[in-house]
Amino acid sequence: MTLLERDPKAAPAWRGELPVTSRYTFGLAGERFFRAIQEEGRILGTRCDGCARTYVPGTIFCERCLGELDKWVDVGKVGEVHTYTLLYEAPDGSQRETPEIVAFVRLGDGGLVHRLGEVEPEALAIGMSVQAVFKPIAEREGSILDIVYFRPI
Amino acid sequence: MSMRKVAVVGAGMTKFVRRAQETAKELSWQAAHMALESCEMTMDDIEAVCLGTAPDSFDGIHMNGEYLSDGAGAWRKPFMRSYVGGGTGVFVPIQGWYHVASGLFDVVLVVAEEKMSSYYPHAQAAFLTIFDHTTERPLKPNLLWIFALEMNRYMSTYGIRKEDIALVSVQHKRNAADHPCALLGDPNITVEDVLNSETLAWPVQRYDVSPVSDGAVALVLAAEHVTKRVTDKPVWIEGVGWNLDTAHWTNRDLAYPRYVEYAARQAYEMAGIKEPRKEIHIAEPYDPFDYKALHHLEGLQLADRGQAAQLYVDGVAARDGDMPVCPSGGLLGVGNPIAAAGLMKIAELFWQLRGEAGERQVPGQPKRGLAQAWGDLMQVGTVVIMGR
Ligand SMILES: [Zn+2]
Repeated sequence: MTLLERDPKAAPAWRGELPVTSRYTFGLAGERFFRAIQEEGRILGTRCDGCARTYVPGTIFCERCLGELDKWVDVGKVGEVHTYTLLYEAPDGSQRETPEIVAFVRLGDGGLVHRLGEVEPEALAIGMSVQAVFKPIAEREGSILDIVYFRPI
Repeated sequence: MSMRKVAVVGAGMTKFVRRAQETAKELSWQAAHMALESCEMTMDDIEAVCLGTAPDSFDGIHMNGEYLSDGAGAWRKPFMRSYVGGGTGVFVPIQGWYHVASGLFDVVLVVAEEKMSSYYPHAQAAFLTIFDHTTERPLKPNLLWIFALEMNRYMSTYGIRKEDIALVSVQHKRNAADHPCALLGDPNITVEDVLNSETLAWPVQRYDVSPVSDGAVALVLAAEHVTKRVTDKPVWIEGVGWNLDTAHWTNRDLAYPRYVEYAARQAYEMAGIKEPRKEIHIAEPYDPFDYKALHHLEGLQLADRGQAAQLYVDGVAARDGDMPVCPSGGLLGVGNPIAAAGLMKIAELFWQLRGEAGERQVPGQPKRGLAQAWGDLMQVGTVVIMGR
């Protein structure tokens, strides 16, 4: 046994209950992308014609040519399950009876990582079409969680 | 390009363990000290120091490179820490290589360290802030999501069976049983053991994953004229390459690591390699997960797309096969102290090519090997080719 094995008096990074958090801005593109989700229930991307790519979520620049992107396009609410996983281990390390389902849903040339709902694990398939289910407009706050999940159509 | 030849002339490695009593800088010193002793050099011979550690948050010490610098031998020397996430262990020797190849220095000490056990309750929490703060973090993602999503896409794109992927874990852990520094060597592990282990995020199960560990590895690199003086068994760095894909991990081709292909092509061109499958005798692809070894072998052009598992099924990848893969035991078997694990692969090639790998020695006097790592936001490939 060494001196420090989970020593309760080990030097803490801070004392007591001092809350440590970060206040991130959504950015110029994020402001537009999340306002469209909150106010219009729409998913927007940006288009680089030169590189023939539609970035989802939209960005203000193309990572390939570094050109400025100002052409916003509605990519619809329906995407394709590109891949998925069944989360059997909960964040606290315990095992779940029923796994949470997380997928990467392709929209345009990008997409969103999100939960899948209204579907059983056995019915999942890569390539299936899924649609974003939004919270009622009054409950939306400009967050990726304004989309509750994607469900098969 | 007019670049000088650079050889690895010495190597040292600590045991990889779950929780080392040694501090991070003590581990760095142990590896550095062993590397110097192995080639009978002293700090008077060392002109510069390159250090690799992965995220500061693992060791739980901000500015970790500077903190470790004394253990790595950096006192009053030109010093630089490099950091490309999991790719660091195969990038830091590249950094050492261009320090020498450029003509700036004749002898460089390269050290890679990671002490992951400081993080409590699990080092994985150090990764929570790698995700995009607006589009991803509200979903409370963890690192396993990325690998599970990628593994599923890889399996379903090519129709690869889980039991074939499990062969990778079995072979690497069995190989590691012959490594004196290994954490998870197991000569008796079977495919059933892997398939019956706890499911974390399907298709990822417990034994598909390498263990978090503490450890350090160090090398001494030297220019040709010094090399001739200190050893009659030099192992030359013949090619290096590194490449970065998009920062949006979801926008990558999840079934095929193009960033590894580009890094490999850069290294093959430098080494004058036209037919890698014939000219590479030992491969040490990065294997933090069993499917990643396969993914990387394909990116490295050492297997056709979706066909790497066949190398294991057919025995080609075995230690006595036509192209041994991870004879060290890899990250899955030796352990995964991030940066140190990558540099362990370079040290393995050094020992294998000199015929000094003991129980792990690949038969047939191999002449050339390749090591590769992967990291950053899961989008960097780093490759080193060594030969004698
Ligand atoms: Zn563009």
